[in-house]
Amino acid sequence: MSVMMWTEKYRPRSLDEMVNQEEIVARLKGFVKAKNVPHCLFAGPPGTGKTTAALCLAHDLYGPSYHDYIMELNASDERGINVIRETVKTFARSMAIGEVPFKLLILDEADNMTADAQQALRRIMERYTETCRFILIANYSARIIEPIQSRCAPFRFTYLKPEDIAARLRYIAEQENVKLLDSGVKAILDVSGGDLRKAINTLQAAASLGKPVDEDVVYAVVGHANPARVAEMVQTALEGDFMKAREILRDLIWRYGVAGTDLIRQIHGQIFRIDIPDKWKIRIAEVVGEIDFRLVMGANEEVQLSALLAHLAEFGELMKRA
Amino acid sequence: MAYQVWTVKHRPRTLAEVVGNEEAKAKLLSWAKAWKEGCVPEKKAAFLYGPPGTGKTVAVQALANDLGFELIETNASDFRTAEQIERLVGPAASAGSLFGKPRMILFDELDGITGTADTGGLSAIMKLIDRARCPIVLIANNPWDPRFRPLREKCLMIEFKRVGVRDIMKVLQRICEREGIVAERQALAFLAKRAGGDVRSAIMDLQAAAEGKKRLTYQDVAWLGARDRKKEIFRVLGNVFHAETCARALSATKEADVDLDMLFEWIYENVPRAYKSPEEVAKAMDALSRADLFRGRIIRTQDWGLGRYVSTFMTAGVAMAKRSKPGFVRFSFPERIRYLARGRSERELQNAIARAIKRRCHTSAKEAKEKIMPYLRFIFQNNPRMAAGLAKWLDLDEEAIRYLAADARKAREILALMREGSA
Repeated sequence: MSVMMWTEKYRPRSLDEMVNQEEIVARLKGFVKAKNVPHCLFAGPPGTGKTTAALCLAHDLYGPSYHDYIMELNASDERGINVIRETVKTFARSMAIGEVPFKLLILDEADNMTADAQQALRRIMERYTETCRFILIANYSARIIEPIQSRCAPFRFTYLKPEDIAARLRYIAEQENVKLLDSGVKAILDVSGGDLRKAINTLQAAASLGKPVDEDVVYAVVGHANPARVAEMVQTALEGDFMKAREILRDLIWRYGVAGTDLIRQIHGQIFRIDIPDKWKIRIAEVVGEIDFRLVMGANEEVQLSALLAHLAEFGELMKRA
Repeated sequence: MAYQVWTVKHRPRTLAEVVGNEEAKAKLLSWAKAWKEGCVPEKKAAFLYGPPGTGKTVAVQALANDLGFELIETNASDFRTAEQIERLVGPAASAGSLFGKPRMILFDELDGITGTADTGGLSAIMKLIDRARCPIVLIANNPWDPRFRPLREKCLMIEFKRVGVRDIMKVLQRICEREGIVAERQALAFLAKRAGGDVRSAIMDLQAAAEGKKRLTYQDVAWLGARDRKKEIFRVLGNVFHAETCARALSATKEADVDLDMLFEWIYENVPRAYKSPEEVAKAMDALSRADLFRGRIIRTQDWGLGRYVSTFMTAGVAMAKRSKPGFVRFSFPERIRYLARGRSERELQNAIARAIKRRCHTSAKEAKEKIMPYLRFIFQNNPRMAAGLAKWLDLDEEAIRYLAADARKAREILALMREGSA
């Protein structure tokens, strides 16, 4: 068997194989049976099966050669209005061949589409309903404009239950002849939240060390993927050295390619581990939350995280005086 | 060895070494050869014109050297009144060359002849041409200046055009070889392109970036792109950080012809240098964070009108963060821009890998980079066999494998396993 990313190797092919999101899967199966699908909006956190559900639906609807009937677009990469007007429109208006009278367009990460592009999409969805159905996938449905939401059947994906993720991890480990210890499972659940993709990626990376996967191995993977300089950065900022803290931040972002959203999560975790009066922890947490929000809405991660470090330096100074 | 400007140190000795402008060089050569062979051409003077740095002066110098002329030169640094010209080159022009080397007279930088300080200079040159018994060369950037009209009629007009990028690269490469510098092609291409057909400025830039180095990389030259506007930016930055009122800070951006995004980077870099107290820095950074928030909104909504809030926060917001006026600030170049320039090839590689992942994993390139690549890196650095399989599955090339493995030896091991697997 050839080597591939386990997230792909063990991605369910058909709705029958999906063991999570039971209600959603049941409704999707209904669509398959009726051979009719409304425009859909799949919303929910990462790694909860949205893309998989869309692909499984296509598979069950069109059979194994479903690739001929669908188009997968990723709005993060192709989010401009031109893609909508050209690529999407061309696909949407051409007739479907075969016993299902429409094609499927899966628009992943749709919440990254510009407002303009969403406006353009709205008419296309209406006009070509007969020949094409849309499945929009998003982390945050709030970022999809109202008129599109109202044209879609909403599906809300929720975090997977820890025991479901654990079961999947154990299954994969068995198939791959990897010794997965209980402490390893627990550690993976800890670091991945309810994100199954992250859990499986962590398992595969941990397994690559060729040792039984326990807690230590898992944290080695996590430590590598997210260099443990976050603590140092926070400490430096609190000591008042903003410039040096910004240097560390740049190193993390530019050299290690750590994502801003991951960094801020780690900074948040770090605050409650450091030795400062608790009333300050809450004040800091408030700022972290505000910056987290701006990080999502702003243009530049480094600027936002730098602003956070500058606040930490200010807090450090105030604490010294208090 | 004493410091020497490379445009002088490495100037071409022969006409063949002068790059570009083949047509002009041929015309010049056959005109000068006629003189040399004793038959005075119809036009006794040649007028070389064209933009700066296209090789006009060096062509004449190299030509004189090739054909064995003694070159008598005047340029804008000499006074060139009628009297001075007569004194300097008069005898040379009228005397025959029965004894010694034949002569050639060069009037360089004619644009610099002024009406007042160089009274009668141009008409003196005219007269000189009429009675000259040796070749005379005139050089100017703009020959269409009405003052030159009578001169043009007496001269063989030879145009020098901007030199092509490939030719400039040839010159730079030759200089690097002589200086013992190994230069990345990409770096030389950057310098050559930037020069806009001006060989001299390309050589000056090369010296600034490469002198004393053994290797010249793209990163060594990338900063030059930003150099030109540095002075202007320093002035604007001073105005922003020193402004006492919002209006003053805001006007700084309007007065200056500086790109707003670039100005943002400069302000962002220099906030902690201009302000000393943590409170001031925090306030100023908060203003920048708000400015960035609006940049995000612009990207999402494409509503460019929001730009006014970006400029308000990044200038007035930052200016109002201070409690006391900063003293002298030594501004520095935005590190972020340097990082970006340095990391360019690395980012291109990351993007290529992300696209490979995207093809296989039903995800965006952006997510691939953030959520899958870190694990891939871990695997490539720890398990060559699994890495080899994944590399094949993703159809990664050698460069990508080397990048992910971050170690040449591990990369070789992975590549060997891949070959073994396919055999």
